[in-house]
Amino acid sequence: MPGRILIVEDSPLVTDAFRVLFTEAGYEVDAAATVAEAIERGSAEPVDVMLLDISLPDGSGLEILTALRARNSLPRATLAMTGHNDSKSRRSCIDAGCVDVLLKPVPIGELLRQIERHLA
Amino acid sequence: MTMSGQHDPAALERRILALLQQADEAQRTIDELQSRDALKTQFLSNVSHDLRTPLAAIITHAEILRDGMLGELNARQKESVTGIVNGGQQLLDMIDEILTYVRSASDQISLVRTEFSLAELADQVRVLNQSLAAKKRLTIERLNGDDLPPVYADRDKIKHVLGNLIGNAIKFTNDGGRIWISFWRYGQEGDEVCVEVGDTGRGIAPNHYELVFREFAQVDASPSRPHHGTGLGLAIARKLVELHSGRIWVESELGKGSRFFFTLPLNPPRD
Repeated sequence: MPGRILIVEDSPLVTDAFRVLFTEAGYEVDAAATVAEAIERGSAEPVDVMLLDISLPDGSGLEILTALRARNSLPRATLAMTGHNDSKSRRSCIDAGCVDVLLKPVPIGELLRQIERHLA
Repeated sequence: MTMSGQHDPAALERRILALLQQADEAQRTIDELQSRDALKTQFLSNVSHDLRTPLAAIITHAEILRDGMLGELNARQKESVTGIVNGGQQLLDMIDEILTYVRSASDQISLVRTEFSLAELADQVRVLNQSLAAKKRLTIERLNGDDLPPVYADRDKIKHVLGNLIGNAIKFTNDGGRIWISFWRYGQEGDEVCVEVGDTGRGIAPNHYELVFREFAQVDASPSRPHHGTGLGLAIARKLVELHSGRIWVESELGKGSRFFFTLPLNPPRD
């Protein structure tokens, strides 16, 4: 297995699409739809790459990073995904510890390349 | 003795009361219209955001199929799935344009200014649009700008403006035409830069120079118009330029081409 990916995304439609993509690419895939669920999944087992949607029903995706850092369970790399591309939200993601910020929907080729790069 | 109506204090009072009442009603109407406008803006924002999510899923699934991750497709299947991806992408671009407009119209956009080279940014936008231009055998050139001092502006927003102007130039210029980007110092003290995006396209009639910058306005608004879009691109571009205290305008001749100009201050604003 090339690695374990945690998809944090509140839309089951988007999660399903990613699940197909990453499973086909050979990754082990886990998913969470809320901040609480992501903290639980992220600290239960080590995560290589976390794909993080920023706006979640019970709070900001960035809270997950704070909680996982406190539990010493930060993923090797966290890629934030946002619906709008503005410098301000990008900066807050990078400041919170994301390695990159991607604009949804990310073309799958680029997404897979990014993940491979951070797992290398 | 009777007083004339003009000097009758009671009549005057009645008149004042009536005017006050009218002013009150007018204010209520304004308040109601403003609150309806805010509701409509919120609605537009919510709907656009909600449309984006399933569309993102559709595009991702279609890309998975197109790229053969679930098994190789034959040429016809691949062409069809590529059509889903491209159509979805076009729809997504339109939704994003509506979202950007809603955010700019409700003053939710703030600038993050940095120093950067306009010439480099123009080259980046040129490269991004190269494949689209090549399909119509259009050339995009940057004519000058290497010696221009850096501007102090929001790079992403100016990239959006340049992208919009070049995108329009590609859309409205016939096969084999020319598109160019050029810069010069502007303003009385040379403390501004003027950016030009020109093309040899179909041009705009003088009575439409203002109309093209208005939201939802399209010179050809008929359902059979050859170029579809939200009609928001230039309204957003104007808003973004004005947020930088700049100006945007067009000079054009029908059948010959258009030249869009916008200005930006070269130095940080003095507070």
